[in-house]
Amino acid sequence: MRSGFYLFFKKSVSRRKGRIVIAALSVTLSVAMVSGIIGMTAGVGAKLGEELRAYGANIIVSPREGNYLAQDVAEKVSRIDSVRGVSGQIFGTSVFRGQPIEIIGLDIAKLKDRGWRLQGKWPQNNGEILAGTDLRSQFKIDIGAKMHLPGGDIGGDFVITGFIERGGTEDSALILDMPDAWTVTGADRQFSAVLVRAEAGRLDEVVQQIRRMIPQAEAKTFRQIAVAEESLLRKIQLLMVIVTVVILCAAVISVAATMGANVLERREEIGLMKALGATKAQINIFYRAEAILTGLTGGVAGFISGYFFTQAVSKGAFGSYVPVPFYIFFISLLFGLVISVTASYLPVRNALKYNPAVILRGE
Amino acid sequence: MSFIILKNIVKEYGPAHALRGVSMEIQKGQWVNIMGPSGSGKSTLLNIIGGLDTPTSGEVFVEGIKINALSEDDLACFRREKTGFVFQQSHLVPYLDAVENVMLAQYFHSMADEEEAVGALTRVGLEHRLKHRPSQLSGGEQQRICIARALTNDPVLLLADEPTGNLDRENTKMILELLKKLHSEEHFTIILVTHDPFVSQWGERVLMMEDGSIKSDAPINP
Repeated sequence: MRSGFYLFFKKSVSRRKGRIVIAALSVTLSVAMVSGIIGMTAGVGAKLGEELRAYGANIIVSPREGNYLAQDVAEKVSRIDSVRGVSGQIFGTSVFRGQPIEIIGLDIAKLKDRGWRLQGKWPQNNGEILAGTDLRSQFKIDIGAKMHLPGGDIGGDFVITGFIERGGTEDSALILDMPDAWTVTGADRQFSAVLVRAEAGRLDEVVQQIRRMIPQAEAKTFRQIAVAEESLLRKIQLLMVIVTVVILCAAVISVAATMGANVLERREEIGLMKALGATKAQINIFYRAEAILTGLTGGVAGFISGYFFTQAVSKGAFGSYVPVPFYIFFISLLFGLVISVTASYLPVRNALKYNPAVILRGE
Repeated sequence: MSFIILKNIVKEYGPAHALRGVSMEIQKGQWVNIMGPSGSGKSTLLNIIGGLDTPTSGEVFVEGIKINALSEDDLACFRREKTGFVFQQSHLVPYLDAVENVMLAQYFHSMADEEEAVGALTRVGLEHRLKHRPSQLSGGEQQRICIARALTNDPVLLLADEPTGNLDRENTKMILELLKKLHSEEHFTIILVTHDPFVSQWGERVLMMEDGSIKSDAPINP
């Protein structure tokens, strides 16, 4: 870069900061929408994957009739070849401070490696439980709070050792170890559902075996659920691609209009530069630099806005925050640059065609 | 060989004829004034000599270079290496101060040099106005910045299009005195366009134009 470029570029930008801010704002809004949409898409996909990984299971067995499965269902299923793990769960309700409260009973020891977000400690002893994060504000309770939960014959007294957040129904439920859950729900040694981890590739075979072996139970693979969700996700992604293209077009038109006005305003300056002996390339570099500055500023601001937009939507829709991959930052910068450089192309090309003699005559 | 040679220059803007076959020669170091009423073609002729505009037909030689055959980039190179322009409306960049306006011309020529720019402004008597923006200066002072900017890259040809057109008599005289001093000391070739008879008496030769043609070409008696 020639000596003096930064001086003239800085002065030019500071003189026109209003227009540049407007152009950067257009880029920011567009990039925010685009990065928000990409963030949502990537985040929702990751969240679905996380849900499935969290269960660690690929088949769910539930009662065909009634609310519970006998405990021996889990034992029978565990004996099937290709089954690598079985875990029973129980769902029920209890009452706390006069309000109904959901109860989920499961083997808490198996939760530790499933990526649940925990504030506090895992329960170690009988009578220690976890609470969903929503209950903390609902009942104004904290770690160490004591709860009496009626149920069964006598109910039970419990202490909260931690709060968990998953973005699902667990966030508004109490998580109890199985013996405690049986006490509260009164469903002694029964399960609401049995989660099964079977060898991948033999899922359909295992499902058929379960159906034959336990006629009173319904068995489904998570893949069926996942496929339905995947299909929905694909439709959402298609919609998002269409919205992204529309936003990009609108942004390019908007920034081009601002750049066009900027170039028109600088006709005399361009004529003067030409009269002073500036080549097209020398004039071009000022405008390209301005477009790059606008694009980078809008890209960074757009990524930050898009991040908060994604989290706000995710919290509203799923009840928890989604992870936004860092590569979206670079995509945002790229989008910012593409929008501003594309938008400046035509106005700058036209500017370079100006006849200095005509412009300097004031025509 | 003459410093500037024009052979049968024609310039048309659609159906309108701005120049109708102008031919002339100018010697190096000469100060030539071009006079004539509005629309006579004097500014068009000046722009063609300075490479700001191109003729529809004919040939223009400056210092042996046939400038009507140059590419756009070579013409830009010719302008920055050989010419200095002074305009009626000084065409200064409003957000740059006096020194920076001169440095802008240096930037396109080679590299911006503040010391040289200050030197150019000192030559035109503006050493006390270096950090003032155009809006903070009088019309005469703005024209002097314009002259400093035109001279900073040591051109061989100074082209002035109505440089005193917006000035009062006192400032007009001041600008002409400055040009006269620079011309006598540094021997620039000067071509100055004016419609003011007072201005046309300065210099060494005056061309009268009318309807795109030279009607008279006479020396100025000192």
